[in-house]
Order: sequence, then C-alpha cells, then structure tokens
Amino acid sequence: MPKELVVDPASSRTPGHLSQATIPVHAYATPIADEIARRGAPALIEALRHMLLIREFEGMLAAMKAQGAYRGIAYTYKGPAHLSIGQEAAAVGSALALDTGDHIFGSHRSHGEFLAKGLAAVARLPQADLDRILATHDEGRLRDTVARALGRDGRALAEDVLLFGFLAEIFMKANGFNGGMGGSMHAFFPPFGCYPNNAIVGASAGIAAGAALRRRLAGDGGITVAHAGDGATGCGPVWEAMNFAAMGQYGRLWQDGGGTGLPVLFFFTNNFYAMGGQTAGETMGWDRLSRIGAGLSPTALHAETVDGTNPLAVADAVARKRALLLNGDGPALLDVECYRLCGHSTTDANAYRTRDEIKLWEELDPIRQFATTLEIAGVLTEAEAVAMREEVADRIEAITRAVTDPALAPPVDVAAEPTRIGRLMFSHRAIDLPAEPAPDVGDPTGSAALRGIARKARHGLAGDGTELAPLRAITLRDALGEAILHHMIHDDRLVAWGEECREWGGAFGVYRGFADILPHHRLFNSPISEAAIVAAAVGHAMEGGRSLVELMYADFIGRAGDEIFNQMAKWQAMSAGALSLPVVLRASVGSKYGAQHSQDWTGLITHIPGLKVVYPATPYDAKGLMAAALASQDPVVVFESQRLYDKVETMAPDGVPAGYYRLPFGVPDIKRAGRDLTILTIGPALYPALAAARDLAAAGIEAEVIDARSLVPFDYRPVLDSVARTGRFLAVTEASERGSFAQTIAATIARHGFASLTAPPRVIGAPNWIVPGADMEATYFPQPDDIVDAVMADFFPDRPANRRGLRDWDDIALARTGL
Amino acid sequence: MTPLPVPQLGNEITEAEITEWHKADGATVEEGEPIVTITTTKMAIELEAPAAGTLQIRVEEGEIAEVGTVLAEIA
Ligand SMILES: Cc1ncc(C[n+]2csc(CCOP(=O)(O)OP(=O)(O)O)c2C)c(N)n1
Ligand SMILES: [Mg+2]
Repeated sequence: MPKELVVDPASSRTPGHLSQATIPVHAYATPIADEIARRGAPALIEALRHMLLIREFEGMLAAMKAQGAYRGIAYTYKGPAHLSIGQEAAAVGSALALDTGDHIFGSHRSHGEFLAKGLAAVARLPQADLDRILATHDEGRLRDTVARALGRDGRALAEDVLLFGFLAEIFMKANGFNGGMGGSMHAFFPPFGCYPNNAIVGASAGIAAGAALRRRLAGDGGITVAHAGDGATGCGPVWEAMNFAAMGQYGRLWQDGGGTGLPVLFFFTNNFYAMGGQTAGETMGWDRLSRIGAGLSPTALHAETVDGTNPLAVADAVARKRALLLNGDGPALLDVECYRLCGHSTTDANAYRTRDEIKLWEELDPIRQFATTLEIAGVLTEAEAVAMREEVADRIEAITRAVTDPALAPPVDVAAEPTRIGRLMFSHRAIDLPAEPAPDVGDPTGSAALRGIARKARHGLAGDGTELAPLRAITLRDALGEAILHHMIHDDRLVAWGEECREWGGAFGVYRGFADILPHHRLFNSPISEAAIVAAAVGHAMEGGRSLVELMYADFIGRAGDEIFNQMAKWQAMSAGALSLPVVLRASVGSKYGAQHSQDWTGLITHIPGLKVVYPATPYDAKGLMAAALASQDPVVVFESQRLYDKVETMAPDGVPAGYYRLPFGVPDIKRAGRDLTILTIGPALYPALAAARDLAAAGIEAEVIDARSLVPFDYRPVLDSVARTGRFLAVTEASERGSFAQTIAATIARHGFASLTAPPRVIGAPNWIVPGADMEATYFPQPDDIVDAVMADFFPDRPANRRGLRDWDDIALARTGL
Repeated sequence: MTPLPVPQLGNEITEAEITEWHKADGATVEEGEPIVTITTTKMAIELEAPAAGTLQIRVEEGEIAEVGTVLAEIA
C-alpha cells in the first residue's frame, strides 16, 4: 500500500449505498441523412463494399471447406475457418471510426476485423505511405508477385496485396503475411494497425492492455482495441486484463500525464453464443454483457451495448470511446450485439439453436440492411449495388485463383530446410544500452537501501577464508538487483511490474530501494493477476517496450499458463521472426512453504519451445545472466531460488564485479574440477553437489561439478568433454525426476557420450510426489548424502560404502504405482 | 534515558544494517515517531522512538549491529 493513499476508516465506514454509472443500450438514433452529411456518401458506399468483400472472402473459405472448390477453383484447405458471416457491420463500423495508427488485436474469429482495418487503411493512407509499406514488406516481393498476377497498381494494388497476403497466410503459404507461420487465427500486418489475432479465447485482452501500456508511455497517440467474443467474458484472464487496464494507480499515483487508465477498448463482438453454449441465460450470470463494466470501475468502463448489425451505430460508439481514450479516460468496453449467421466452424450442425431464431436474425443481415438504407437514402441505386456485388465476387475469385497457384503462393518448403521453422524461434540478438541514464530516474545515492548495497564487500569470503554474512557481502539477491537497476536506469523502454514490486521491493527484496528512484510508470505494483502480468508483458514488448515481470513463486506459473506457454513462447515464431519479444519473466522457486509454494518447474518451462531459460546459482552468474536476459531480444524465464537469495559469492575469483557485465546464455560452468566423475547440477543443486564432492574426495574420488546455469539454450560440449575425461555422469536437480530437464541432459549424454561412459548416466532429482513442509524438505530435495549414495552405488559398486541417505527405493516399482 | 535496541526480528535473524536515520543526532523526537530504518536479510523495517525526548544516536548509518545492540537513546 503506497503511503500516499491513506486508508481512512472514517470515510470507508460511512453508511450509504453505491450507485452505478448508467450503461446505454441501443441508444444510437442518428438519422442517415446526418451520417451522409457528416461522412460523405462515398465513405458509406465504401463501407458497404468492405462488408461485401469480407462476406465474399469468408463465403469463399466456407466453400473451400465444404466443397473443396469456389467458383470452379479447386483447393483443399485443411486449416480452421471460424467465419463471421453476419458480423461484418461490427468489424467495418469499428474500422470506420479508427485511425490507421490505432491497433487492433483479434480473436479466433477475426478475418472480418483484419480485413476491415486493412481495407480502411488502404482507402485512407496517403499513396506515398502505401507505396512505402508495400516496398518494405518482404522487401517488396509480395507486392511484385501480386502486381504480376493481378495487374493493378496504386490503391487497387494495395488492396490486392492485403487480400492476397491474408489469404496466403490463411492457407499457410510462404509468402503469406506471416510467412505461413500464423494462419487463419493468428494473422496480422502491423503497418495497417492489424496486430495479432489469437486462437486462445480472450487472450488478446491482456496483450492489448500491455500494448496500450506501451503506447501510453511512448506517447504515440493511438488507441488499442482488444477484440473478443461474448464467450470470452467467462475467461478469468479477460477480467484480469480489464482490471489491469483500469487500475486506480494510473490516475492517482502515476505522473506520466497519461490519464486515469490505459487507452484500450475492450470490444466484445457479442453474437450470443460461444460455440454452442449461450452466454446470457445459460453460461454467464450477466443478462447484458455491458453490465460487467460496472464491476470493474466507477465509470463502468464507459460501457455501452450497441447495435452490431449497423456499421454506423458501431462507428458512432467506437468514435466516442476513442475520444475518451485519447483524453486519458480509458479503458472502455463495448458490447456489440450481432449474430453469427454461419456455424462456429464448418462442422457446426447448429444443434444449439433453432431455424426460426436464425431466420429472425437473417432479417437483420447487416449487409442487406445497410444496402437498403443507402438505396432508400438515394446514395446508391439497386443496379449499382448489384454491380458492386459482382465486382467484389470477381475480385475475390481473382485473388483466390492467384493464391491457389503454387507458382504465385508457394508452400513453405520445410523439406528443403528441415530446421527452417526452428530458426524462427529465437533471434539470438541483444541490444546495446544507451550510455546515458534515462531522464525519469532518480540518483541511486539518494536511496539509503541502495547505499547500503553499495557498501557491501564484492567477494563473499573474508581474508581468512570464512564466509561473510549476507548483510556484509553482495548476495545473489543484490547481484540480480544490480543488473536490473543498471538496465532500468539506462533504458526507459524497460518497465517492471509484478505483485508487491514497489515499496515491498519485489516479493523477496530484489527491487529493494528501487522505488526510491524509479517513478511508478517504470516500476509498479500489479494486481494479483498472474495471467495479466504476463500477457501485458507480451503486448508491451510487441509494441516496442521491454518487459520485466515477476511471479512471486514459480508455483504460480500455472496461473499464467497460456500467457507463458502460448503467448510469450510462440509469437516470435508465429510471426516468422517479424516480432521480437524482449520479455524477462522472473520466477522465484520457493522453500519451506510446502507443496504449492516450493516446486521447481524448470522441467515444465524447458519443455515449451520458444523460451530461453536460466537458473543461476551464484551471485556472479546471477548478475551476468540477468544482464544478458534483459539485453536479449528473445523471451527469457529466469528461475531464482529463494534458498539462494542470501548466498554470497565464494567461487568467482574476483567476487561480483561492481560494473556491468553479461554472461553468454547456454554455457555450463565447471565449478570444481575432478577426474573420476562428472556431476551436472541445475540451480541450487550445485551446493549439495559440492558438499558431496568434498565427502567423495575424502574417499579418494574426485568429482567434477558443472553448473548448468542456462537450460535453454544449452551447450553440451563442455559436459561431453568432461565425460570423456571422467567416464561417469550424474545430473542433480531439485525438479521432480520424471520429465525433468536433468533427464533430457542425461539421455543426450548417454547417446553422444556413450563411447566414454563406463556406467549408465544417472539422475537424482526430487521424487515424483509433493514437496513436503519445511521440516521434511531434506527428505525431498537431494542432499549431499543422497548424492554420495548414488555415486557409490552406481559408479563405484566395488568399494565398501554404507548408505547414508534415504533413497533406497526401487524406481521401477515406484513407477508402477504412479510415482 | 530510554534505549532503542535492535529488536528480535525472527528466529533466523542475528543482525541488521542501520540503513537510514530519519532524525539527526540531538533532534527532538516524539514517542512513536519513526526514526530509523534498519534492514535484515529478510526485510527493511522502520523503528519508532520508544519515548519523547532528545535523540542520541549510538550506531551510525551503514553499520551493522547485532540483535540487542542499542542503536540510540532518548534523553
Ligand atoms: C481458452 C480457450 N478455450 C476454448 C477454446 C475453444 N473455442 C474456440 S472458439 C470458442 C467459443 C468462443 O466464443 P466467443 O468468445 O463468444 O467467440 P465467438 O466464437 O462467438 O466469436 C471456444 C470455446 C479456445 N480456443 N480457447
Ligand atoms: Mg460468441
């Protein structure tokens, strides 16, 4: 709780009642003549054309899925087609009100939104900007292909590129907008303000909130729109995102001049159904979606329910919300009611709704309604409307013919380069830091806490070889903090948040003193919203920010599962490398608090492709690897052991350098040399392994102890070289053995070091049961005695040795019982 | 004279750093007023003046003191 905001019982305990902001429902009533006068007839005709293009485009996809052909063009499309037939007015109306510089993030059903936003950009951007965009995307190759195939230029060429690039992406062709790595549910094209669609229901809410955070701080003047369906209001992460965007601190504590909330519009395309579950009346508690705004902020997020079958009603609402957002009064929520006239997907049998209901909504078909409105208003003749439909169908046919021609849209040739997709996972790039401190940072010597750290000894051993107390020498906690503070001071794109990050100093004090010198907009307390914490980090990074987020305990990774596994890990590759995600996720591995607060989940995270993973065990390594993580353009998960935060540096010869340095990812480090056996450790397992090595030395066995330091990437060479010398390999980890990264390493050593091995590699991890409470922890995490036992039993069975540890169980028998 | 010792802050804590004096030596302090921040490996904590009077600082900022050490006296 910041001291600036006093919790005064006198005011909080005053009796009364709460009233809520009024939420307008279907309030739009502007006469069409006024709209024509305001927008001009050509803009309205163009809006109708865009709706028709979307309808025809999706009709084509429906035909391809159902019949394998469209207008005589045969093609087998195996991917998803979540169509928005009947919902076009929502997409086109919104695009009518947005500027090209506004960014939309979509859902699994966002073809319409993508096309509407792109078509609006093509219609409105100056020709010179369009030319530059087409020349820059894939070095102009897509433009040249499309110009050659379809023979048009100027704005018409830009429109063709939009349709071609999007369809090629849906068909996952090499020259699709995202290199064929995204597809129907993930396509995007930033130059037109179309940011990623997302196949995870509701996932764009948190990402868009983070994008809006970056845009607020960068002051670039655009709004961000999070598209979601009505079903997404059942997703916890969506609520987290809306709250994250509405936090009180923006208005009450931040001094960046950005207003009282984030400039993000939560745009719910409410078609009354998820797939087959009906939201109002069946799966949700709300009767009208817009009502949920009242649960989120005193402004009820300026929520409104609007008629999503009329593009002008939608445009009117979006324009008003946009003005609020640009004024710093965000976030906002729109409940845009419309109806999906097609199935959820092409296999939908409509078992959950009646023919009669569909008919009622067919009466409100937005395209027919709008065309009629324009005809009655005298803006468009019936003949012109028919001609427009024909022209649109011809256009989609020409685009489809081109995209289904492998000479024009070749498939992704994985066979020619089998690791081609793998190459897209990481860029392996790092940034240089500006030499000058950022202007918004205070002087570190003004913070007593930071002065305290600066007074500490850099080396953890006193002159007589005894270990210094953690108050007297730089600890692993301090070392992490030094690297982070250096980046925070020198790079104002870097913003850090997480639970209790300011006055508390981060859950375990790594940020102690930071709040003295960093403004709220660089370091802030987040709500207890692990999903929003990580999703916002992803969105913030997608828009050019750099994100540093903390999960108080690694055990809470589960709360941010989708955000870590599907968003943070995958977007670089799903964008074919176009997006960089400089996100550092710090996760502290607990101790003493039992099963839900102490688990090492390195096995889980290393299993997910797309995340770099480090787990430093010494202060020197922690500082260098944290600096490397913060400089990295790739997403990095940094595991930190709570048992090691107080460790001082006893191994690096010069202690922890006071200056800034980086250590390379992926390089295991020999912490103790030995000739008889190689022990590879992950994280805190280093210390019991070193203790065991001392015991073994007393028995004449010299163990080489190698600290993995990084898990992804990982260079096996130093380990294989060590095994070539010792002939024996043991990996020690605090993770449960089954599926652990130590098992992966052991299997790889078995295969590539087989010729040198005198015995099978061995892994000692935690058993496959819960982490017990503090007093029982030593029975769970590998102890020096357990390591000595395993070494003697597996590698030196001829030598006499008494078993010292607890682990004399039979792994095979345990496995049979699920352990 | 009322002494202000380093309090016992948990069974694993033996010493604390004197991080910042919020009042100068010789200043007049009120009872209950926060006068010094000390830091252990686990937490930073503000200590309050145990009595009203004149502050006489015994341990300077930046030093490390064991639990029980008198940091100041209030006269
Ligand atoms: C997290 C998650 N759960 C379930 C699904 C499967 N799924 C895809 S679309 C959908 C229905 C979504 O409904 P709504 O948000 O109303 O969007 P609509 O499909 O109506 O556009 C479901 C359950 C998913 N993609 N992601
Ligand atoms: Mg829906």
